[in-house]
Amino acid sequence: MKSPDNNTSGDVQAVSAWHRSAVATALVGAVFSVIVLALIVGNYIRGRVHETRWEKKLENLRIEISNQPDDEQALLEEIRRLDLEFRRAMFRVLDFSRTGSYLLLASLSVFVIGIKWAGTFKEKMPAPQPQQGAASEQIRQAMLARWSVAAALGLAGAVMLFLAIGPRIDFRATDAAADSYPTPEKISRNWHRFRGPEGAGISADVNMPESWDGKSGKGILWKTKVPVAGHNSPVVWGDRLFLSGGDPNRLNVFCFDALSGELLWTGDVKRAPLKPNEEPVEVMEDTGWAAPTVTTDGKRVFAIFVTGDLACFDFSGRSFWSKNLGTPDNVYGYASSLEMYRNLLLIQYDQGDTESEKSKLIALDGFSGRVVWQAKRPVANSWSTPIVARTDSGPQIITAADPWVIAYEPNSGAEIWRAECLAGDVAPTPIYANGLTFVIEPYSKTVAIRTDGKGDVTKTHIAWSLDEPAPDICSPIGNGEFVFILNSDGLALCFKAADGEKLWEEDIGEGRDSFLASPSLVGDKLYLLTEKGIMIIAEVLPKYNELARCELGEECCASPAFVDGRIYIRGVENLYCIGKEETTQEP
Amino acid sequence: MIRFGHIIIATAVVVNLCAVVSGRHGLPARENTAKIAAPQRFPPPEFESGYDLPPSPAAPHPRQSIYEYIDVAVLLAALILASYLVLKMRSRRAIFVLMVFSLVYFGFWRKGCVCPIGAIQNIVLSIFDRDYAVPITVSAFFLLPLIFTLFFGRVFCSAVCPLGAIQDLVLLRPVSVPDWLASGLRVFAYLYLGLAVLFAATGSAFLICRYDPFVSFFRLSGNLNILIIGACFLVVGLFIGRPYCRFFCPYGVILRQLSRLSRWRVTITPDECIGCRLCEDACPFGAIRKPADEWSATEYVRGKKTLALLILLLPVLILFCGWAGARFKNVTSRMHSTVRLAERIYLEEAGEVEGTTDASLAFRATGREVKDLYEEASGVRGQFAIGGWLLGGFMGLVIGVKLTAVSVWRQRTDYEADRAGCLACGRCFKHCPRERLRLSKKDKAIS
Ligand code: SF4
Ligand code: SF4
Repeated sequence: MKSPDNNTSGDVQAVSAWHRSAVATALVGAVFSVIVLALIVGNYIRGRVHETRWEKKLENLRIEISNQPDDEQALLEEIRRLDLEFRRAMFRVLDFSRTGSYLLLASLSVFVIGIKWAGTFKEKMPAPQPQQGAASEQIRQAMLARWSVAAALGLAGAVMLFLAIGPRIDFRATDAAADSYPTPEKISRNWHRFRGPEGAGISADVNMPESWDGKSGKGILWKTKVPVAGHNSPVVWGDRLFLSGGDPNRLNVFCFDALSGELLWTGDVKRAPLKPNEEPVEVMEDTGWAAPTVTTDGKRVFAIFVTGDLACFDFSGRSFWSKNLGTPDNVYGYASSLEMYRNLLLIQYDQGDTESEKSKLIALDGFSGRVVWQAKRPVANSWSTPIVARTDSGPQIITAADPWVIAYEPNSGAEIWRAECLAGDVAPTPIYANGLTFVIEPYSKTVAIRTDGKGDVTKTHIAWSLDEPAPDICSPIGNGEFVFILNSDGLALCFKAADGEKLWEEDIGEGRDSFLASPSLVGDKLYLLTEKGIMIIAEVLPKYNELARCELGEECCASPAFVDGRIYIRGVENLYCIGKEETTQEP
Repeated sequence: MIRFGHIIIATAVVVNLCAVVSGRHGLPARENTAKIAAPQRFPPPEFESGYDLPPSPAAPHPRQSIYEYIDVAVLLAALILASYLVLKMRSRRAIFVLMVFSLVYFGFWRKGCVCPIGAIQNIVLSIFDRDYAVPITVSAFFLLPLIFTLFFGRVFCSAVCPLGAIQDLVLLRPVSVPDWLASGLRVFAYLYLGLAVLFAATGSAFLICRYDPFVSFFRLSGNLNILIIGACFLVVGLFIGRPYCRFFCPYGVILRQLSRLSRWRVTITPDECIGCRLCEDACPFGAIRKPADEWSATEYVRGKKTLALLILLLPVLILFCGWAGARFKNVTSRMHSTVRLAERIYLEEAGEVEGTTDASLAFRATGREVKDLYEEASGVRGQFAIGGWLLGGFMGLVIGVKLTAVSVWRQRTDYEADRAGCLACGRCFKHCPRERLRLSKKDKAIS
């Protein structure tokens, strides 16, 4: 090849032939590069489309899994198949693009070589332009340079300002610095679940009303009609009170102003459509559509219904998430209430019989509704609510069902201990005090179990077990000194907590009163709500001593809530707030 | 005599040694960064399939570390050769061949990693994070080009850096960028360097690696956005010589300053400048300085006043930019994963965004207190406030010095390659008739 340096007029033709070859080489390289590039882009788009479709399908399947845990296996199979299909397709796309990249690199190299080569034949000779006023040009350049440096600084500042647009988030602001889940102190000042903190039914405030009369309105601070019925109990957080209700046409969550009784909002819970071949849920009148009590973490409220529909609303009534856990296989209808532990929403989802392996304890992230862990339970369907007990060895979720009482570690769902001691349709909720948990086998037995065991503690940690009449619905109450149980027909028994020694037995109902609401304790006084809506206030120790009877004038089956000098009672139709007049506050 | 440059190099060596010995764990930087930065293309399935995933290698393959030493040896050899070709042989063609070799070896073969440009971050992080160790090879990659620049000018940029090489190769129709514009654009390189140091020091991100525009070409795969940025640089690079090198490269910023102090450097003419002006437009990078006329008395006085004003402005600029840098801590700190997560959680909690992200879900699954996360994020923001002061102050200093520097009259009688900006590409050599004379004499002597 001739270089332009030794180019003479005689070589012009040869040079132009070389030049043409160089141009042709560059052209071939360019055309080939464009074709390969187009193919690579096409392949990339194909891959992206495929990936987007796959991601969407996968996301739908994931949602379905959490919504239809019953079909988990089939859905997992489907995910596996999709995953394999996608991986194959993606590797084809990757192979194609890798080959394309090599080809593109090669063709671009040919193009660059061609064009550089062609350039050597057309080298521009230096042709300096006439020069004048170098000094003034330098001054002009200096001035422009100053402006351009300043402009660069301005541009950088403008970009930063643009990036700074948007909400200014101050992590130290009081509302931001608030706890993400309520502290035990906050919980103890509220009534965040069925029977309040730890499900104990004990009021933190001992200054509670001791007389009222629904008929005359004495002591009734407000009374509001609940739009839809439900057997669940009121839950109170700050100035908000929550309830749920349901009938065949709707499932609702209600938020009331706890100070004025005004209904603030109604949250609609969408019912999951029935799956093919699925029987519609049959709801017993005694249970109703909304037996489980809602729970709250102080920012959001969670509700579950007899259909397995679960929903979360924030305090303004905005629906956060909802899902369906699958229609529960439950003879009387699902009635276990919800519990919270830190950010976890705990659901005792017991179904079928002990053999059917359908029961589980589910922990969902309260914010997103995603399953954080779930533990299979070898128990039959139950109606009891789990409690989170603060034992000496740390928090334990304690659950009661037929036949096992099981304690779980709340963060992981790992089982801590289990005791085989119950039978039948377990509905009463366990309680915990002084290292002992107290559970009830309907009609026949009250059992105290030490909570410091590990593994199967049936033979080692049952502190005492009394074969005495025991309630089928009402949960026990105790303060570490005594345990009080109340049968539906009004037969009440009181035991010494430490060893189960019977302290007294009394027929409170005397044939006229029956009880569905669980007993509560205010200081050393029992508050026992009859089905007819009469609150019996009585001393529990040293022996039963009735102090007062307060009539509401409406039938009741939900357990009352005790917060801040007020008692909130849900009648079958109305919601009542009872307080001493001096505690009446302006909303 | 001890030169100022030697002091700088000695300092850099000491800093490096400190960085190497300060790390407690001997994980090579590449592995560390890979662990931080490499998301799996296919994460393991989310269900039990009975298939045991083969364990990921915990330590790098021995061959890999041998390669790292080979890389250092090749780098050293390439730098020596480049110095010889630029300063002694003065052959553009030879420089070009070495440049193509470097592009193939450091770029396509070694996939653009380790590179001295990114090594800045390893060094910075190792200084601020005692748990992070810089392998000796990375330190060597960082230091060798600096040492060579201090002695021989920017020979690394001339024929060894693969990023420079790929841009040099695609330069087909050079268009000159006016000096004043180039001065302004160069500010971005300083800003890029400052941000890269800030993010590396706070353990937020390796900005230079994340936004390396050419690495996707070297690896023949990569993030689409980066590929597009790289393609834009190359398309612009068809007409504007090495745009990344001149206006963005953070390592180039350091090399520029060291090159000012270099003992030997590129000269356009092999012996004397005869003022023929034939080289005037030879440089596609605008690095040839013309002889300067003297200013008239009035212009001189006015220039002096401007200069005085600008010198007075310097501390104001430093303080103002430092203050502004600290004010932008909320923006800059978003580069840190903790702050990003905390902001996301904050917006989720406040109901200002719908749904969740994988990161926020993972955080919630830990059951950790949001308050703790906010606390941690506030702490990180505090670091960025200090970093913002330093970065802003640095930028104020750069701007102030630049404004001053462009306003100074410099006496020059010959055509010269700019000490800082010359990339030692060798294109201007043959434009000089003295060089042609030298070559023809040499040819004659050989024949
Ligand atoms: S300026 Fe930066 S990218 Fe360009 S050649 Fe030099 S080190 Fe490489
Ligand atoms: S060697 Fe010459 S052409 Fe190349 S960058 Fe330096 S001055 Fe410009």
